[in-house]
Amino acid sequence: MSLEQLNANSFEKIIYDNEDSCLVIFSRKSCHVCKEVVPVLEELQPQYRDRVGFYYVDVEEDKNLSQRFSLKGVPQILFFKAGEYQAKLAGAVDEDEVIDKIAEVLES
Amino acid sequence: MKREALTQKLLVLGVDGMDPRVTRKFLAEGIMPNLQKFIEKGSAREDLSHLGALPTITPACWTTLATGAYPGTHGITCFWRQSPKSLDAVVYNMDSRNCEAEQLWNVTSEAGMKTLVWHWPGSAWPPTSDNPNLNVVDGTQPGSVNMGVAQLDWEKIIAANEEITELIYAPKVERPAGTGCMISDLSAITEEEEEPATDMMELWYGEAAMSGSEIREYIMGPENMEMVIESIPHYDVVNSPLKNAQGWAAAPADAKEFTILTSDGIVRRPTLILKNSDGIYDRIAIYKNKKAEKPIVVLELGKMVSGIVDDINKEGVLKPACRSMKLLELSTDGTSVKLWISNALDIAQDKLWHPKELLKDIVENVGPVQPVSLVGGEDAYLVENVYEPAWDSYSQWQAKALNHLIKNRDYQVVFSHLHNIDCAGHMFWHLAKNLERWSYTDPEVNQNFIRKFYIQTDKYLGEFLHLLDEGWTIMILADHGLLVGEEFPPQIGEYGGMNVQVMEELGYTVMKKDANGKTLKEVDWEKTTAVQTRSNYIYINLKGRDAHGIVDRADKYELERKIMSDLYSYRYKGERVIGLAMRNKDAVVLGTNGPQCGDIFFTVDEGYSRLHGDGLSTVEGAFDTSVSPIFLAAGTGIKENFTTVRTIRQVDIAPTIATLVGVRMPAHCEGGPIYQILTEEM
Repeated sequence: MSLEQLNANSFEKIIYDNEDSCLVIFSRKSCHVCKEVVPVLEELQPQYRDRVGFYYVDVEEDKNLSQRFSLKGVPQILFFKAGEYQAKLAGAVDEDEVIDKIAEVLES
Repeated sequence: MKREALTQKLLVLGVDGMDPRVTRKFLAEGIMPNLQKFIEKGSAREDLSHLGALPTITPACWTTLATGAYPGTHGITCFWRQSPKSLDAVVYNMDSRNCEAEQLWNVTSEAGMKTLVWHWPGSAWPPTSDNPNLNVVDGTQPGSVNMGVAQLDWEKIIAANEEITELIYAPKVERPAGTGCMISDLSAITEEEEEPATDMMELWYGEAAMSGSEIREYIMGPENMEMVIESIPHYDVVNSPLKNAQGWAAAPADAKEFTILTSDGIVRRPTLILKNSDGIYDRIAIYKNKKAEKPIVVLELGKMVSGIVDDINKEGVLKPACRSMKLLELSTDGTSVKLWISNALDIAQDKLWHPKELLKDIVENVGPVQPVSLVGGEDAYLVENVYEPAWDSYSQWQAKALNHLIKNRDYQVVFSHLHNIDCAGHMFWHLAKNLERWSYTDPEVNQNFIRKFYIQTDKYLGEFLHLLDEGWTIMILADHGLLVGEEFPPQIGEYGGMNVQVMEELGYTVMKKDANGKTLKEVDWEKTTAVQTRSNYIYINLKGRDAHGIVDRADKYELERKIMSDLYSYRYKGERVIGLAMRNKDAVVLGTNGPQCGDIFFTVDEGYSRLHGDGLSTVEGAFDTSVSPIFLAAGTGIKENFTTVRTIRQVDIAPTIATLVGVRMPAHCEGGPIYQILTEEM
């Protein structure tokens, strides 16, 4: 299942107003590493249904958001819980690293 | 021989950059009534000055005040010292372990007197005596308490209105005067630069600097000069949509909302815009989130609020931090708002507090350490509305903190330092004369800002007047004064690095060039015979001593003669700009000899000096300013309403304190007590 895309305004609503536990991958269409990491998240998403939201932001379409989080490159996965930024994973990450990070910062 | 103490309690009120000449101007205007009372109750020279040490640089002079030794003797001759590895680099120097002279507070502590050293930017941190009588707070940078180690988030201007469609965050944007706070093209101001921008505070006083890493700054042209850099304010800008409040647990009808971003952009604070009973929007309330019942703070239009504690998110870890905030503008219909929020200081950062429990005492009884502002410069709106009020608030917090400690902890000797005047001086004193480079700024406006900072200082000093009735002796003094420059200075004598321009023109420093003949930021050591680093020092590139040395020792003396001759002949805008130039061995007459004072010590002549640091300690500038430091004393052991014609040297202050409190002289003291002002014949 593909990830739901966020823009600046839906990002505000979901992350901060709803305070959902979630992860957001900041990616770019032309990025090769992103093309490897996004499917990993798509595959994991069903396991966390109703517990952790999975989203993506296209940094070219929403430059303001990547600027705001001072992201120097893609892909980067940002983790949020109760409206607070918790942690991030950068670059080529595998399934186990994402599972461990979710357990550490979103489900602890 | 043991001497009897003339006083049991002595407080030093150090005010960085406080200039007696401009002070007298303001005393005559009647705007410094508290200082006037100190003068009437005490002793000073008629001109209120003392003869500052050379160089007129902050850590050098505060160390002289603490030790009674000249900079050539104590070895702290600038903010930095020469890197042992390379002539063009410097290393951090605000470390007490580099000081080669004994500090007076070690003597008083070891004599059984409980002693507090509060943010003294010269050889105070770390404590160099383990005597339990010695308490020390910070001193690792000149700015304000904890500034170098507790900063978690930078200053921000938040602008919100109904036309903004999405939340935008732009970090550390340079905003020359006249530029608004609306971000019209984010990419234009945040495009990645060739070299990452480095914050001057971080570069000079950050963790890397403190751990000994080299700082290599070349002053290649005017754009590298501190007065040019500091006069352009930089801060984070947030633009937020503004709309009717929606989804709140506690929003009244008609409330509007916008969003503040903190923590480098990653934390959001929803904010309500609220009406008063007359139906006019006049305040805002900042919340942790929309579910919260109570706000973090309510801000009324035009009122600065300090001591606001909110969590800052650092890499996912929440840390409570203290901020000041001010609602700068709010349209009566609530459709447009602008506010400033200060930098955020970690309220629990106690690594520069000795003992650590002092911080807890202050936080619980006075309030968390307050941040200051570093945005202002040529932007008169920000100086008026943010910078000056923030420093006023900090000064009042410091006065309360010191009075609390004095009242509750039985201190007998207190050395304290406040940086308000000096910090303001570096930002805009040079705008108080209409120099061509800043022709778009208004000198009169800036002269009034100088006035405001002296009024602020007078208010601070007034908070300690009551101690005179409680048996205390109080000294009010400075390290150096601050000039309103007569001219834009030449690029020699700039303290922040290696000065290239003049030495390159004279042929002593040679920079490498690329294939197109463009000058590179790299010294050609095979052709360089001398460099000018820090405030007043020229080093010969000597074989056997320096890493890339090319000058034979046998040729050093003649080369020095030639450099000094060329310096005197050098013309800038048609005029001689070098005041004195002398060999290291001869500079002992100025107290600027020894390995940290170069092979040649020189001064920039009156009329071409920058704010301070490059000329003699007697230089005067425009708007009745001078680089002389103030000195006066009042209270127990000091003659009342007394003036002396004695030349009071900076090295005389420490032995005067030692005499007053009845302890031995610090081991390397080179001055003598100011006998003339003491109530007892010596």
